[in-house]
Amino acid sequence: MAERDNEALRSIYRDDPEMAELIELFVGELPERVRALREFFDAGDLASLQRLAHQLRGASGGYGFEPLGFRAEQLESALKADADAEVVRKRVDELIALCSRVAA
Amino acid sequence: MPTTPQTSATILVIDDSPDIHRLMGARLRSEGWTILGASSGEEGIECAIAAPPNLIILDIDMPELDGFETLRRLKINPATLPVPVIVVSANTAPQDKVMGLELGAVDYVAKPFDFSELRARIRAALRTQRLLDMLAKRAHIDGLTGLWNRAHFDARFHELAAGAQRAGQPLSLAMCDLDRFKSINDTFGHPAGDVILQRFAEILSSIVRESDVACRFGGEEFVVILPGAIPEQAAEVMERVRAELREQRWTRHPERAVTASFGVAPVDERGAEAALAAADAALYVAKSSGRNRVVISGERAALRQAG
Repeated sequence: MAERDNEALRSIYRDDPEMAELIELFVGELPERVRALREFFDAGDLASLQRLAHQLRGASGGYGFEPLGFRAEQLESALKADADAEVVRKRVDELIALCSRVAA
Repeated sequence: MPTTPQTSATILVIDDSPDIHRLMGARLRSEGWTILGASSGEEGIECAIAAPPNLIILDIDMPELDGFETLRRLKINPATLPVPVIVVSANTAPQDKVMGLELGAVDYVAKPFDFSELRARIRAALRTQRLLDMLAKRAHIDGLTGLWNRAHFDARFHELAAGAQRAGQPLSLAMCDLDRFKSINDTFGHPAGDVILQRFAEILSSIVRESDVACRFGGEEFVVILPGAIPEQAAEVMERVRAELREQRWTRHPERAVTASFGVAPVDERGAEAALAAADAALYVAKSSGRNRVVISGERAALRQAG
């Protein structure tokens, strides 16, 4: 999957009338999740961080944002494997960067 | 045993993620299913016991009570045991799939799922469940007469007997046996015998109350469980059945009337087995004192003489 750095990431379901409203809701709430990701990481609350990554991983595909699910999975795996703080920080940053490209 | 058509099926989604509930709602609604949600294992079990749905979609990765433990609990409760469960998980390790299926799930779908696949799997699970329900029901119905069969009687009788004892309510049992049935079979043939069994079952069904359980006990023997009835009331019902049968005209043997004998007993603190033996003994008295009559357990004389 070619991910260019600044291109908007759009849902593969954006033309599906069944999904339009939900995608908007998801995208609208994403800044809130980004804030939570950052806060949990800064506070060292890795359990909550893992929980959030796990939910994002499970849901992103459903909303049609598979690359986001992939990034969330990478963060979850790093946390599960007790990776170094630096690795976790990198995964958090990557995930947040991708979140900022998500568009309805 | 409900055999709900799958278009009106109720599906319970147990998942801690609000996103999944939203997505399920949007993606499954088009099938006409009613989607209910629970956000934890505990809540899901409570919900499923209160009103068993037609199918459960269960997430494995939940905090506190995880999906495996939730599944285990659903499968040890008689109310939720028959409900098919599709397990969903972001974990695709084979041992997790094996675990889910071993615990009683009917299917395992990996997250993130493709909703058209999930819908197809739900439809397949509902289809299988409908057939299972139908088979289970059929296993309790007598093929020739359409009455409940012996297996159903055995299951229901003990249940109703225990319930009546607990509630302090009367309960009666009536055994019926067609008189000289073997001779009719031998003289007019088995098809004539089958017609009699079927007609008798119809008479029985049309006269007993909605709450009564009429069963074919085997051969030409029938048994009726009458909740809420004292033996005298049960005998009255059986007396109407007796009279109706005696009045039947038979095209295959117009000259030969068919009668039946009845033994009635209360189901009391002596228990279900004792009541069955007492009803059988009363039936024996009805037979040996001339047939075509209803005898209540404990009565020495035949009270309701042939009419």
